[in-house]
Amino acid sequence: MDTTVYQPIPGTPPAQGTPAVRARSLTKLYGKGEATVRALDGVDVDFEKGAFTAIMGPSGSGKSTLMHLLAGLDTASSGQGFIGDTEITALGDNELTRLRRDRVGFVFQSFNLLPMFTAEQNITLPIELASGTVDKEWLATLVQTLGLGARLTHRPSELSGGQQQRVAIARALIAKPEVVFADEPTGNLDSRSGAEVLSFLRRSVRELGRTIIMVTHDPTAAAYADRVILIADGRIAGDIDDPTPESVLAGLDALRTLEGDPADALAAGPTGSTAVRA
Amino acid sequence: MVRLTLAQMRRSIGRLSAAGIAILIGTAFLTATLLAGNVINRITTDSIAAQFADSDLVVASSAGIDEAGLAEIRRTEGVEAADPQVLRAFELVSGGKRTYQVVVPTASDPRFEAQELVEGAMPSRPGEIALPSDVAERLGLGLGDSVTVVRMVWTPGAEDGATADASETTPTDETAPGEETPAGTYVDTNEELILVGTLDDPMGAYAQVGGAGVLSNEDLTAWEAESYAPGESTTAYGAVLVALAPGADLEAVRSSVTGSLAGDTEVWTSAEYAKEQAAQMTGGEDVFTYVILTFAAIALLVAALVIANTFQVLVAQRTRTLALLRCVGADRKQLARSVLLEAMILGVVASVAGIVFGIGLVQLALTVAGSMDLGIPLPSLVQVTPVALLVPLLVGTVVTLVASFSPARAATRVAPLAALRPSDAPTLASGAGRVRLAISSILVVGGAGLLVMGVLLGQQGSAEAGLLASTAGGAASFVGVLVGAIFWLPKVVSLVGKVLTGSGSTAKLAAANTLRNPRRTAATSTALLIGVTLVAMMSTGAVSARMSMNDELDGRYPVDVSLATDGYDEYGGNQPVALPQSTIGTAEKVEGVESVVPLTATSVTVALDGDDITFLARGVDPDGAAALVRDKAAVEGLAPGTVVVPAGVAEDWGISSGDELVLTAAELPEDANPQGTPATLEALVTPMGGRALLVTPQTLEGVATGTPVTSAWVGLADVNDAASVVPALQDALAESDLPIDVTGAAVERAMYQKVVDTILGVIVGLLAVAVVIALIGVANTLSLSVIERRRESATLRAIGLSRSQLRWMLAIEGMLIAGVGAVLGIVLGVLYGWAGASSALAVMGDVTLAVPWRDVALVLVVALVAGLLASVIPGRAAARTSPVEALAVD
Repeated sequence: MDTTVYQPIPGTPPAQGTPAVRARSLTKLYGKGEATVRALDGVDVDFEKGAFTAIMGPSGSGKSTLMHLLAGLDTASSGQGFIGDTEITALGDNELTRLRRDRVGFVFQSFNLLPMFTAEQNITLPIELASGTVDKEWLATLVQTLGLGARLTHRPSELSGGQQQRVAIARALIAKPEVVFADEPTGNLDSRSGAEVLSFLRRSVRELGRTIIMVTHDPTAAAYADRVILIADGRIAGDIDDPTPESVLAGLDALRTLEGDPADALAAGPTGSTAVRA
Repeated sequence: MVRLTLAQMRRSIGRLSAAGIAILIGTAFLTATLLAGNVINRITTDSIAAQFADSDLVVASSAGIDEAGLAEIRRTEGVEAADPQVLRAFELVSGGKRTYQVVVPTASDPRFEAQELVEGAMPSRPGEIALPSDVAERLGLGLGDSVTVVRMVWTPGAEDGATADASETTPTDETAPGEETPAGTYVDTNEELILVGTLDDPMGAYAQVGGAGVLSNEDLTAWEAESYAPGESTTAYGAVLVALAPGADLEAVRSSVTGSLAGDTEVWTSAEYAKEQAAQMTGGEDVFTYVILTFAAIALLVAALVIANTFQVLVAQRTRTLALLRCVGADRKQLARSVLLEAMILGVVASVAGIVFGIGLVQLALTVAGSMDLGIPLPSLVQVTPVALLVPLLVGTVVTLVASFSPARAATRVAPLAALRPSDAPTLASGAGRVRLAISSILVVGGAGLLVMGVLLGQQGSAEAGLLASTAGGAASFVGVLVGAIFWLPKVVSLVGKVLTGSGSTAKLAAANTLRNPRRTAATSTALLIGVTLVAMMSTGAVSARMSMNDELDGRYPVDVSLATDGYDEYGGNQPVALPQSTIGTAEKVEGVESVVPLTATSVTVALDGDDITFLARGVDPDGAAALVRDKAAVEGLAPGTVVVPAGVAEDWGISSGDELVLTAAELPEDANPQGTPATLEALVTPMGGRALLVTPQTLEGVATGTPVTSAWVGLADVNDAASVVPALQDALAESDLPIDVTGAAVERAMYQKVVDTILGVIVGLLAVAVVIALIGVANTLSLSVIERRRESATLRAIGLSRSQLRWMLAIEGMLIAGVGAVLGIVLGVLYGWAGASSALAVMGDVTLAVPWRDVALVLVVALVAGLLASVIPGRAAARTSPVEALAVD
């Protein structure tokens, strides 16, 4: 497996059509004046269609902020974010709601299922909110792929954590969104259930052709992805294709050095071409 | 622990204030009731005291003080003047206007004069009168004008006792021949008096009787003497006012007067006597206050439910904090104490605020009423009594404390382990225990049984026992229904929710939300259910009573309104007085009047049982009559050649349909030999009311030539508008110089409708307080759920719920809780109202059960709108929640 660390990010998107999600000079500032914190500092990044991408970085690196902005959950201070050809940074609340409804799916760390609905009702909720009709065939495919057949009539309180998260994945995929954002989907799960959920996410991409962007701080989880983007101090700090736990760990170690003394690390970077840009 | 309690209270200040408002309204209601009771007592005492003006002593005797006694009092040393208290009433006539007026004699000492002169002078000789200025104005009188006073005089004579003599006298008693009777009759006599003064009643001495006129003492004494049959009555006074000579000792005079008069005579100071009289008037006990306190109790009960619910939710939300406290060493008792302390602080603060609010409310009412010149002197400042302060404070605090018992127990059940569990979304709460179900079932079944028994008892004629049984049954079953609400109310909500589910995902979400915590939904709906049930019950009872009475009246009176110059003359024998054509025109123009049919009338004789019996016969056009009467059967078959005989008359004289009656014109007071040809007519006995025979105008004209139109039947467009049309009709006819009697079903209907509506309005107004408190409860529960479901709202936003959908979801949730409470309350209230009406009204005859659709619709709309409004603030808060919060981990 090719384990090139610190692959430089090309200045232009790859040639295979429009990427699923793009960020251009995306910046998010918190606070004012002296106390201003640059949570995200002019990030440029592309996420290809039909790929499982993980965003990794230490706490406070800005990985969650990047996801919030790209998913249209939060507003950017400057710069642009795109889903497909739609500039989400230019949309109002109602358009964003519609975008979330039709084109984006979410998987949360704490599952966030509605306790009063059964698993099936939870899965089909996005379709109902959009007043659409449930694609029965697609629902059956999801249920089968995620192994939920026997659990559809159960309420969340009757399901294990792993089962709840699988229901949440099915809910995220039911509207066939262009992209699914997963925020630490294994954070609240034991390692076995976590591994299960991650393989389901990967199968969703490989077998069902979905696009998934996952935020995580777990190298093992990140290794399930097709590509890992490393982020530190609000900037892109690296890009790993076909990651293994080892290659991800190595990348993280390099980042830690970076964090210790970013300037030196930058200068002494093994390839000399980190992904950090001004 | 106290510091911690206070810190927690600060965190939940918004929720607690909403709950506090419920208690505040309850205690304010209680305070206002107690204070208003005091004010009313004071007004009563003051107005009675005003009648004694500036007199020093009042001599009272239940046996009465006669002239000799009065003279004795006047002779007592130290007494400068003494006047008996005399209150009489006469009819005053001026032009076409009449009024019944209370009059008092002139006072012998200015200190006895309770009223003040506005213009002119007090009557100083016979033939003079002074009237309250508003009465003079109403009668169109100025100083020097003459006014007719109608008084009754006992006239000896008229040995035969026949009713033929009816020129100016009105027989007040139908005396049967052969019975031993005093020889004589009471005769109305007109006196012409000159208005010499107009009066003002600044202290409201006679406000309760609409002001008093003043007559010379001579006139009043003379008329009084003439109004009794000889030996029937000797003048005796209930009370004599005494004014002391300058320098006389009050106690000395008091004891000498007491000594000089025999029997149970008592001597009071004026203030003492007023207090005594007021106490007698209110029956010693304050019935008014007790009745309203019942409503205050209902309001407080609802407030208690709201408080209990609020604390229940607060404890649920604080589970983690409470568990943490248990982890670091707090024991169960400390947690329970913390909740109770919180409730007590809330109770005291809210009660104090409620008391202040209540005092302010009464003061505001006094100030507003004082500026409106009601003719009653009102105290300008509310008098706060210790009872009015302490009772609401105690009750408010205790109610809050008791309401928090169950939440406090819930707090002790929080396991320390709960602090270590990840915070899950609130799960579905479990139901309630079997004991509750058993108690509830027993109460419902037993109560319903009693209720049925009450209805049956009522139908068998024992209204009192029936009402007692159905009241007890109703109360027991209602408590049962409330106790068991947890079992069935959520199911009903679910059912309604299922129906709503069809209308979209937002509604489905809302319906599911109301079900996640059945106990909370039940408690919130129950609070509203109580108020709505009582309101619906009252208005159902009122409407059923009204309908039953309407049916009763429709049977008794064939027409809505009858205008007549001879309205009370049902037996005939009097000279017919023509009804002016203009009157019919005026009546036709009154709004709400549909048709007016004129009737001719004269006296006829019919030979029955060998005697010539005098009847009043009226002539009416059959088509016009048929179109107007409520009961068509009353005039069915009326045609030339027939005569309609009212059922009552037929029964008295043994007439049946098909009999031949010969009608002959009767001798009239002013026409001893009337023209006409006797007619032989076929009798038709119909359910017609009254005593007059009905024929066609042509027939009557044939029997007695030149019969005038003396009355008119008026049909109303909607008989239920009687309350507004009848007074308008009376006003329009008041302009006429001729006294016209306005009678009929609609008139009585208008009268009792006003009474029923007023009572109902007051009761519903009082119950509305409970409904308002319940609606605050709905808003509070909704707000609490929104806070609790922050994460969930964010998740829904993240997966595609728009802001307006989120707000709408909460709005439906609020309307669902409020709507179900209201609908169930209406259903229960209607059933209870029917049961009550059946057992209480059965003695009157057939009870018509009706549903007050207008009131029901109003209650439902108010509940739904309130549920909608209750969701506005929580909805805004929820919509502000950023979807990012769904990702947060706490």
